[in-house]
Amino acid sequence: MALTPPIPRELINVGFGTEIIYSFVIILCSLIIYFGTKELYELSSYKGIKYFRQAFLFFAIAYFFRSFIKFILVYFNTNELFEVSPRILFGLFGQITLFIFIYFSSMAIFYLLYSVMWKRLNKNKNNIYLFHILAFIISTISILSRNMLVYIGLNVFLLFFVIFIVSLAYNNSEYKKKGHNMYIIYVLLLLFWILNIFDVLIPKFFENIKLIIYLASCGIFLMIFYRVVKKTGSN
Amino acid sequence: MVKRGKIDIIKDILIVIRDNNNHIKSTPLLRKSNLSSERFSTYLQDLLNKNFVKDSHDQKGERFLSLTDKGFRFIEKYKTIIEFIDEFEL
Repeated sequence: MALTPPIPRELINVGFGTEIIYSFVIILCSLIIYFGTKELYELSSYKGIKYFRQAFLFFAIAYFFRSFIKFILVYFNTNELFEVSPRILFGLFGQITLFIFIYFSSMAIFYLLYSVMWKRLNKNKNNIYLFHILAFIISTISILSRNMLVYIGLNVFLLFFVIFIVSLAYNNSEYKKKGHNMYIIYVLLLLFWILNIFDVLIPKFFENIKLIIYLASCGIFLMIFYRVVKKTGSN
Repeated sequence: MVKRGKIDIIKDILIVIRDNNNHIKSTPLLRKSNLSSERFSTYLQDLLNKNFVKDSHDQKGERFLSLTDKGFRFIEKYKTIIEFIDEFEL
């Protein structure tokens, strides 16, 4: 077993602090959304609320593991998680964490999509199992290929797929006439989620606009959080 | 006439019970709920299972239905639930 390297200076500078604050804000918003809607679901047993809540629970879990990946990247002063050998204990933890991160982030996207689409799709319980299988396949391919471009490619494909499905739903929706903009917020949420994945896998890629991406992501989560709190009466 | 959803039907049944001094027999409840007897039985069983409604007997030994605290809470939160579903297009 290799000796662990000394803690680098990057770990204690503002950059890593910003990462922690950013993750904390998103995790907090997601958990408040999840727990704040608990009573509405318990009373109504409405499936749309159930999938919506679970999507944000998965976002919270994914962001928690994202923070751990960021820690490993800073700790080993590397740009890619795959550069850290899985034979080193931290490298192995990194690979497992990446698997969990990809799995839960994919599930968050699937559940958010399903929360707005479940009434239009075949009301088959197997859809949920299909999401788990798909998320597992995406995670496994990403880890086994040890190629970040494969995972990024899968997510870009997922984004276009989501935009296609959401635009179909929007065009057939009665809400279109009412001027609702939640579909746009959902697409923006997914877009910034993909940018976050780029940021996790290739930290140098968005070096100059990282803060803008973080602020925009926080803004979207806070917007949804605000709407949830307003509607549920912040219980 | 707009078709009622499951949540609307539950709310309507609970409101009928509440507006009847929280004490009603199942036959007048069936009549006031505007449902077929088969659907009414399904909904009533669902409400009993979810503990929105409780089944009791009065001094004459006759069966009647009344709301539980959870049933009152549902009526209180009904508008919030509907607005939430509408807001997030769920």
